[in-house]
Amino acid sequence: MSCRRAVLLHVSTLVLAACGPTRLRVPGALSPAPRPGTEALLRAGFGRVDITPPPGVGLAGNGPEGAEARGYRVRLYARVLVLADGGGNRLALVVADLPLSSALVHRRVAALTARTDGIGADRLVIAVTHTHAGPGHFFEAAGYNDEGSSVLGFDPVMVDSLTARIARAVHAAVADLRPARVAWGSRAVWGETRIRSLPAMLRNIPPPTAPPDAPVGLAQEYALVDPELAMLRVDQRDAASGAFRPAGAFSIFAMHGTGNAPSNDLLDADIQGIVERRLERHIDRDLNRVSDSGFVPRAVHLFANGAEGDVSPAWPPQSRCDLPRLAVLPALEGPFTRTLWDWRAPTATHLGACRHAARQAITVIGNSVGDGAVALFDALGAALTDRLELGRSFATLSLRDSARSLGICPEPALGISTLVGADDAHTRIQGWRLFGLFDIGLKEGSPNPDVPGCQAHKRQLLDAAFGGLLNHLFISGHLPSYAQVMVLRLGNRVIGAVPGEVTTTAGRRMREQMLAGARGAGVPASAALILGHANGYLGYLATAEEYTAQYYEGGSTLYGPGEAAMFGRALRRLAASISTGDSLPPNAVPPLDLVVGQQRHIVARRTGGRVPPPRIERAWCSGDTLYAWLQLGAAADWPVATGDVAAQARVEVVVNDAARRVVSWDDDPALELRLRSRRGGLAWWDLRWSGVSGLEYRVRIPGGAESDPVRCSGAGRIR
Amino acid sequence: MRYCWSCVTGLLIAAPPAAAQLSARADVSAGGRYVWHGVSRAAGLVAQPSLAVGFRLPRLSLEGGAVLHYELDRVAAGELSETGATERHLGEEDFWGRASLVIGPTRLHAGVVRYVFRGDSGTGGVGSARNTTEVYASLSTTSRYVNPTVEAWWDVERVRGAFLRASLDLPILGWPFPPYAFVFVQGEMGLNVGQGPNAARPGELTNFADRGPTHVGLGLGTELRAVRLSSIGWTTVAFGLRSQLNLDDATRVDGTGRRRDVNVWLWTGITVLLGGDARNRR
Repeated sequence: MSCRRAVLLHVSTLVLAACGPTRLRVPGALSPAPRPGTEALLRAGFGRVDITPPPGVGLAGNGPEGAEARGYRVRLYARVLVLADGGGNRLALVVADLPLSSALVHRRVAALTARTDGIGADRLVIAVTHTHAGPGHFFEAAGYNDEGSSVLGFDPVMVDSLTARIARAVHAAVADLRPARVAWGSRAVWGETRIRSLPAMLRNIPPPTAPPDAPVGLAQEYALVDPELAMLRVDQRDAASGAFRPAGAFSIFAMHGTGNAPSNDLLDADIQGIVERRLERHIDRDLNRVSDSGFVPRAVHLFANGAEGDVSPAWPPQSRCDLPRLAVLPALEGPFTRTLWDWRAPTATHLGACRHAARQAITVIGNSVGDGAVALFDALGAALTDRLELGRSFATLSLRDSARSLGICPEPALGISTLVGADDAHTRIQGWRLFGLFDIGLKEGSPNPDVPGCQAHKRQLLDAAFGGLLNHLFISGHLPSYAQVMVLRLGNRVIGAVPGEVTTTAGRRMREQMLAGARGAGVPASAALILGHANGYLGYLATAEEYTAQYYEGGSTLYGPGEAAMFGRALRRLAASISTGDSLPPNAVPPLDLVVGQQRHIVARRTGGRVPPPRIERAWCSGDTLYAWLQLGAAADWPVATGDVAAQARVEVVVNDAARRVVSWDDDPALELRLRSRRGGLAWWDLRWSGVSGLEYRVRIPGGAESDPVRCSGAGRIR
Repeated sequence: MRYCWSCVTGLLIAAPPAAAQLSARADVSAGGRYVWHGVSRAAGLVAQPSLAVGFRLPRLSLEGGAVLHYELDRVAAGELSETGATERHLGEEDFWGRASLVIGPTRLHAGVVRYVFRGDSGTGGVGSARNTTEVYASLSTTSRYVNPTVEAWWDVERVRGAFLRASLDLPILGWPFPPYAFVFVQGEMGLNVGQGPNAARPGELTNFADRGPTHVGLGLGTELRAVRLSSIGWTTVAFGLRSQLNLDDATRVDGTGRRRDVNVWLWTGITVLLGGDARNRR
């Protein structure tokens, strides 16, 4: 080889390596064998950490319609419950206000907590609420980092930040371990969720039927949901009084985090954030009579998602905005210049109206489900016990390597229905026809009966011309390859933690299999629950019958029609092997070889330099909205830079009276902070509060500046 | 140059975002042929830099610009060329201005174009004797699949007659993730209604040989929004293939003594869009 050729080869290799996706090898860390403690009683500890990133990240979950975050509304938290028994067994449950769970973050957190707290991957569950108004860029598969939103890429800083914060919250929860009493219970919540892919669900054999307690007259898509809100209430012993006080809860309820429309451009905890806070405030104010419950509640409500794959919140149609559409851009289109094409966004007026409708729906649904959580929590007060048997089993499935033995397709594939989006958030290409005439299958429910092989019925991109070649060359390598599956035993409940979105019927079948497995092994389980979005993400898990319909959920069932059944078998096997007081063999957590996508700087980086004290430029009212412009921190600042949670709000709205009564702050669904500019590396914010009620207000930065009084004439707020 | 660039950039950044907007657009296009109103004016490698600026109110905009036509190949005698067989490369300069009214999906334009030819007519080029001015009006509309445009051109100086053009843009594919990419088909048709021979003025220049259809064109293009320029603009790279069925004797001319019924050529171009129009893009 000539010198010139060798140089060219080296340069080409370097260029290819620089442009190629990032690959990571992530080892697993198991929990050490538990050491029996001195206390024989059940103990519980809670932790919480603020994980709201700075603006600029992509809001993941809506594919190309996921906007770049311009600011935040309701802050994002990771909440932690650690349970420990007298045998030294610990289980850590984390529920984070994030769009998808990540095996990468799970493994990284476990590596830290295994050393500091004896909680390795097999005793750690990191589940997410699935808010579609949360950040991406930390997922385990390139497909979700590079196509999860309109902001593409994988950012190690996001992984590191989430890892450090969640690990710190787990550590804080371990430090908070105190004698506890707990009670399991459940309650039906009807009318706030609906099946979004009903024709697919109705293909199941036997056909699904509504539970006998479903309200009469409820439409079929509302009556066929799993309405169960399951809750573990936790009371902790107060160190000072010795009495047990309500402290928090761990709940599971099946509902997508899609209260926000895809056009939303703010980080937000969505409906789940309202439910979490409603119970937390109830515990603080109504049960514990905390006079100053502070900016962050003391109680902690982990509100996890269940088998929500085909379950939407009952958002009204007017909350979904029109999508950008392909149009000629009339941009200086002179007689000699070519036409430019563009995705033309809907008008600002239209966007404002549908975002407002979405915010209203979030509040209404959140309050309703939250009321159910409050009622259930209160009802469980009479059933508290200090006995809760803890156990777990854990497995890592290598989906590609073990496809044959697992009974799934060896190569994952995306259906075309994935590209068009689900009912909550169709993408801009939904319904597109070639030349406006020819149907090319860009819609849900468009199976291709001619597709042969393992992924039969799955219509793929341009498969009429290329078969599965495009998927093989450009898509399948970016999809996840591993599944971390876990079964927990918490008293008489077994919980299957699944790294994906399980449809209602698939979830029902998995629960039955888990129960059979547990009971067959002598575990006295009275009920089984599915905890979705846990410890990783590999798309949807639809039943084989639903798969043939190729709605969004079927198209996104990556490993073929047998995937959900495979998980059912795995959960049954794991339920039959729940153990306690031991350490698992190393093959339970083999290293993961991940392809995470294009590495990019997405999370804003601090550039140094002095940040002046915050100041309020101006404040004014228009209609029922109070506005303010303020300079607050550096452009790259996370709302909470250090510590677990903020001690106080960053900005407040107060009534202009002697008491300066606080009526809103930057964690209120009615208050939005949107970054206007990063001038000089500083963050210049636009504040909007839509809760005015005819009083005079001031905008205040706690411990800092205060605006001049503003007289507002609006009436009423949403809540 | 740097000072000018700073001034333009400063003006664009300082322009009020919603009420009135300043925009600027620079294009460089290169192709295997220069065709205007269906008539081939130069064959071989042709480069066409252009610059446009615009001022836009919510519905109304005023725009103007200039385009230069360079022939990069050496031209031999008898070849189709505006410059002629000389060492020159600049064949034509055009200056245009127009007003646009946008009503929903419909756009109405009225404008004027000044054509200045720089070739040497003595060596087969197009000289200043053909300099002329056209006024035009056009109506365009945008729907999900079809974007039709109808244009009426009126030569008010040399040829004194009308030419009609209808075109249709059909997007085939729009890639929804950044960097956005688009694939589209373009069709067009020309109709001469007054730029042919005039029996009343036999010495007058003509653009076409007969009344009626002059040409039918079909093209396939792709466009890739390549680079975002901070927060003030975009760079777009495009390339495509065009073909044309020539129906009038004037459109068939392909050099001295050479005629073609069908022309096919490739083109590519780069567009830099700054200011209001760029900020409006999602």
